[in-house]
Amino acid sequence: MINTRFVVPLVAFTALVFFLYQGLFSDPRQRDSQALAKPMPTFSLPDLMEPSVIYTNDVFTDEVTLLNIWGVWCVTCAVELPYLTELSEQGVRFVGLYYDQDLDPDFGTKTLARVQQEVIETTNQLGNPFLFNIFDVYRDTSLDLGVTGAPETLLIDQQGIIRVHHIGDINPRVWDSKFAPIYNELMAQQSLQQTEN
Amino acid sequence: MNLLTQRLFIILSIWAVLMLSGLMFSHDAQATQENYQFTTEQQRKDFKRLTKELRCPMCQNQNIADSDAMIAHDMRRKVYQLVSEGNDHDQVIDFMKQRYGDFVYYQPPVNNSTIWLWILPFSVLLIGGWILFKRRPEITPSDTQAEADLLAKADEMLEKDK
Repeated sequence: MINTRFVVPLVAFTALVFFLYQGLFSDPRQRDSQALAKPMPTFSLPDLMEPSVIYTNDVFTDEVTLLNIWGVWCVTCAVELPYLTELSEQGVRFVGLYYDQDLDPDFGTKTLARVQQEVIETTNQLGNPFLFNIFDVYRDTSLDLGVTGAPETLLIDQQGIIRVHHIGDINPRVWDSKFAPIYNELMAQQSLQQTEN
Repeated sequence: MNLLTQRLFIILSIWAVLMLSGLMFSHDAQATQENYQFTTEQQRKDFKRLTKELRCPMCQNQNIADSDAMIAHDMRRKVYQLVSEGNDHDQVIDFMKQRYGDFVYYQPPVNNSTIWLWILPFSVLLIGGWILFKRRPEITPSDTQAEADLLAKADEMLEKDK
């Protein structure tokens, strides 16, 4: 007969150690996206390069799209741009949701022309995966999407529903594990619909 | 009052004054560079309370009043906008929760996974109390007898030393 006075504290201690040990490997920044499985919030925003062009939710209907939230000021965005360009060359439809850090909407310190210039320079250098860039002037749409920083990428299906919300850069590993399965499925559906019509 | 207690008293009062002033200054030194104008006093109060209660989703543990992250700036602007439009405290909290989840609000909701935050401390207290109660040494007649014997022996020794 083992003494319970010995066993009970030992079990409690082991459980505590196990709990704390697990904590070493958990990511405190990881949290569930609230945008998932919801439609893209309604927006009406100008094109980054051509502010007279206004985009609405219509840009996401009938086509599977990856919406990449980025800015030239963001280092990780620059890292993923070449890979995103590679993907876009394979036929993936990328739309940018651009927001600028230094361009305070109320007390702007940077001109729009300067921002455009920087974007052109960056995409010339690293590749341009984007069909066009939606300019989130007041960062309202980013806030509606629960965006906390850049880069973040959303996979939006033909109905305009958000299917994947990825925080951080896209690399081959992330693409294969997180995006490709759902993307391929959606593309299969899309081509089926197109042949039906 | 002797010298030691007097000194202790002085040190303690200096410490108390420093702590209090520190508290006051830390409240004034919040990172709210923006100058928001409010039409009513209630709106100003709501804004102050909300920015204290909302957690910056980028930072590890900072409210949006203290944080200088861009997301905190944007959230403050949004809170200001919502408060100015006449939304009350709960409506603003709901708005933020819909976008950033329960994480964004410093008061966690009571549900299946968070109920342990309330149960665990009380159960530890109860179990601890139970263990203390169980381990209390029982006074048996033999114990009192042994004690009496020892006392008698001690008395005897004292008697001898006289």
